[in-house]
Amino acid sequence: MAKTILFVDDSASVRQVMKTALAREGYEVILAEDGKDALSKLNGTKIHLIISDVNMPNMDGITFVKEAKKLPAYKFTPIVMLTTESNAAKMAEGKAAGVKAWIVKPFQPPQLMAAVAQLVMA
Amino acid sequence: MANEQQNNHLVIEGELTIYTVTELKDKFLGGLLTNDELELNLSEVSEIDGAGLQLLVMAKQSAIALNKTLLITGHSPVVAELLDLSGLSVFFGDPLLMVHQSKLKGELL
Amino acid sequence: MTPDIPDEYLQTFVIECRELLEQMEQALLIVEQHPEDPEIINAIFRAAHTIKGTAGLFGIDYIVGFTHVAESVLDCVRSGEILINSALAALLIEVHDHLGVLVNHVDEGTLPTDEVERSRQRLIAQLKTYLDEPIVQNRSVDMPAIISKSKLDKVQGDMVQTDYWHISLRFGLEVFRNGMDPFSFVRYLSTIGQVIQLVTIIDTIPSADKMDPESCYLGFEISFDSDADKITIENIFNFVRDDCLIHILPPHSKVSEYKHLILDLPEQEMRLGEILVKCGSLTPTELERILRIQAGHDEEDSPRPAIGEVLLEQRMVAPPLIEAALERQKQIKDTKKADANLIRVDADKLDALINLVGELIIAGAGINLIAKREKTADLIQSTATLSRLVEEVRNSALALRMVQIGATFNRFQRVVRDVSKELGKEVELVISGAETELDKTVVEKIGDPLTHLVRNSMDHGIESADVRFARGKPAKGTLQLSAYHDAGSIVIEVSDDGGGLNKAKILSKAVERGLVAEGENLTDKEIYNLIFQAGFSTADNVSNLSGRGVGMDVVRRNIQALRGTVDLDSVEGQGSTVRIRLPLTLAIIDGFMVGVGNATYVIPLDIVVECIELKAWASDEGDGKYINLRGEVLPYRRLRDHFGIKSEMVQRENMVVVRYGEHKAGLVVDKLMGEFQTVIKPPGKLFQGEKSIGGFTILGSGEVALILDVPGLMGLIEQEKT
Repeated sequence: MAKTILFVDDSASVRQVMKTALAREGYEVILAEDGKDALSKLNGTKIHLIISDVNMPNMDGITFVKEAKKLPAYKFTPIVMLTTESNAAKMAEGKAAGVKAWIVKPFQPPQLMAAVAQLVMA
Repeated sequence: MANEQQNNHLVIEGELTIYTVTELKDKFLGGLLTNDELELNLSEVSEIDGAGLQLLVMAKQSAIALNKTLLITGHSPVVAELLDLSGLSVFFGDPLLMVHQSKLKGELL
Repeated sequence: MTPDIPDEYLQTFVIECRELLEQMEQALLIVEQHPEDPEIINAIFRAAHTIKGTAGLFGIDYIVGFTHVAESVLDCVRSGEILINSALAALLIEVHDHLGVLVNHVDEGTLPTDEVERSRQRLIAQLKTYLDEPIVQNRSVDMPAIISKSKLDKVQGDMVQTDYWHISLRFGLEVFRNGMDPFSFVRYLSTIGQVIQLVTIIDTIPSADKMDPESCYLGFEISFDSDADKITIENIFNFVRDDCLIHILPPHSKVSEYKHLILDLPEQEMRLGEILVKCGSLTPTELERILRIQAGHDEEDSPRPAIGEVLLEQRMVAPPLIEAALERQKQIKDTKKADANLIRVDADKLDALINLVGELIIAGAGINLIAKREKTADLIQSTATLSRLVEEVRNSALALRMVQIGATFNRFQRVVRDVSKELGKEVELVISGAETELDKTVVEKIGDPLTHLVRNSMDHGIESADVRFARGKPAKGTLQLSAYHDAGSIVIEVSDDGGGLNKAKILSKAVERGLVAEGENLTDKEIYNLIFQAGFSTADNVSNLSGRGVGMDVVRRNIQALRGTVDLDSVEGQGSTVRIRLPLTLAIIDGFMVGVGNATYVIPLDIVVECIELKAWASDEGDGKYINLRGEVLPYRRLRDHFGIKSEMVQRENMVVVRYGEHKAGLVVDKLMGEFQTVIKPPGKLFQGEKSIGGFTILGSGEVALILDVPGLMGLIEQEKT
């Protein structure tokens, strides 16, 4: 069964690239362009992994995680945060919100693919 | 989730994962308390993870502690794969998938 | 370049980068004035690191490497370790420019030239002077596992036989709840090697009553065959290493290392030993030896090794630091909220909307007329409501086109900085009224004239530092850009505290060029405004900046094309102010409808001061050209005469008093018809050269009404004064 990944990033080019890369590995990909959009995609669809950027308009990644964790159907869904800084404060906030995995930008698709596979490999 | 067809025969449908283990734990224990022999049919399990497997281990251990019998039957492909990966199939001692049965029988019987 | 990224993705990347660079530039240009404003600094930082992040994804290393250094410096600025001064701001602007060049290379699909490469190296070197530490290219690998070769193993130097890695994992209770599945990691292991043997440790699963099914009690002992290096294997467990016990023993590890492993793990030694043997990691003999040593004397181990060989420690940051950082994070978030609600819309769509609103207004006016004619109360009431709503729609639609002038003004920080450098003058730019809004079209077109004025002020207006010093002025010159609303117009002023205009010089030049006759009596203002005449330049030496053949007359023409005016005030020795007056919008105006004979005219409502009845006797004063309005001499004009309308004079004429800038005038009409929203249609070719007509509009009745161009009309009246 294909695993479904929700990918959240406000950069259209990052979304394009990651969708292609993830789909090639056989994952189902749902895209969202910010936290708000992402939250609307958490509508009961089974999602095995959420990958989200931190800095986004409308709703930032941390807020999104906090909201997502409130939803019973997603409270255990692993969340990988993409961040361009290995910022201790942000990580602390994210950790408190339920983020356990961080990927520091810049990364290349293979790096993220590895992380994804470590978390949701079927 | 669990679908009680008979009290001593639980069919688990859908996920056997972190999302369902709390509910299933009560079902399993309830089934063990009221029956001497409990059969868990996993043929309808669509997804299983470490938490699910761990719960099965607990059920098995509880059965042993209560001196009862727990049978795990009808492993769906995902269940069989995880049992294989974990190396715990011997611990459960249940005959696995049909295709493997002849080979496994030799080992188990 | 990552080969599997299609071109169109790169295109998106390029567009994104350019947007980010624009934001970065805007922030950079104002950062010096607000060196401690976290919003601005964060804007710069964010642009840099987003570019870095995205470039990394695309594998564009020359951008990643360069941006990383800049980002590191910016990070220090953000944390307050480095304060932004003008030198750093200038350097960052260079960084910004260089990024622009690099992005262009991405766009063109070319690699940076040697020259670009050299400036890159120079910038990196300059940036590094702000950093104490050497730069680590990629922080994700900047967290290596602690691999300490045990110094305690002098005695048990012998190695185990196995050719395989041994991986020992004990997962933390929270692992499931954190969304991790221990088996995922095992599955992943198979991608970099082969799992020879795996034993799932279920020993610590509590009895049913004490077991929380959402907690993880699992562990693994794995014998693993792989050519991968230790870091690679360790990295697989990055996501769980905070709360897990992880031991990774390379092939042929020392027996003593296995001993430490057994000591570290929670299970009983015997049980564990059996598992290790079962895994094939230890032979029974090896295990026996280890257990014997263990049971005996571990003299060489008196200080128990600090949790084994490769226990990955969680590195915590001091709590106060986190709090401070969180506070800053919150501020940044608040800023983000402010611009979070912006959407980008194609300007053409806006124009289409405004056109439609214009048609709607005209159609609405038609219905109003009918309603009034039919005298149906209900209909009149309904149309009144409709009119109000249409008016609101119009206002909202127009507001969509209104943008703050601040962004335009801020661009001049850059101009001023560059020009200062070029001229060797120190000039500070002061901006006021940045929040003043005006039509986007106007904003777009005002940039060039403003640039010219600003350069002109810096070049000709502001004196060099020694001259200023001699005149008792501060060495640093001040250039001010300000904007404000005034009587339906927006006024933009460019003023400097420079030398002001030299009247005598202007006059003599004007005479020389034949612009004015010798001995002609001109007011100061008239003299100053001569510089807007074609082909006028007073600078003693033509510098690189001004005097490029583009004179102030071009500025004036550009502004006139926007239905605006420009004039200049100057005080010799103290500075000059150029004042540009522009209409707020080019599309729709609130008009005041007047009738002359059978014709209908529209006067922009904003400039109407008052309406008075023109008494018959008043027309006799001042040759029918002036009226005494409460003691004020007011020039006036009959529209009937102006447009040559031949119809019967009405009994009582009315006069509309209008004001534009400093001028006031009266327009005499037959009747006042009230306020009317008007969509401006540009005047056709027929009216070209007719200065008093600004456009026309279609009335609800289908009739055409001419819109008066009051500034143009007043110009005519002024001319006739003399």
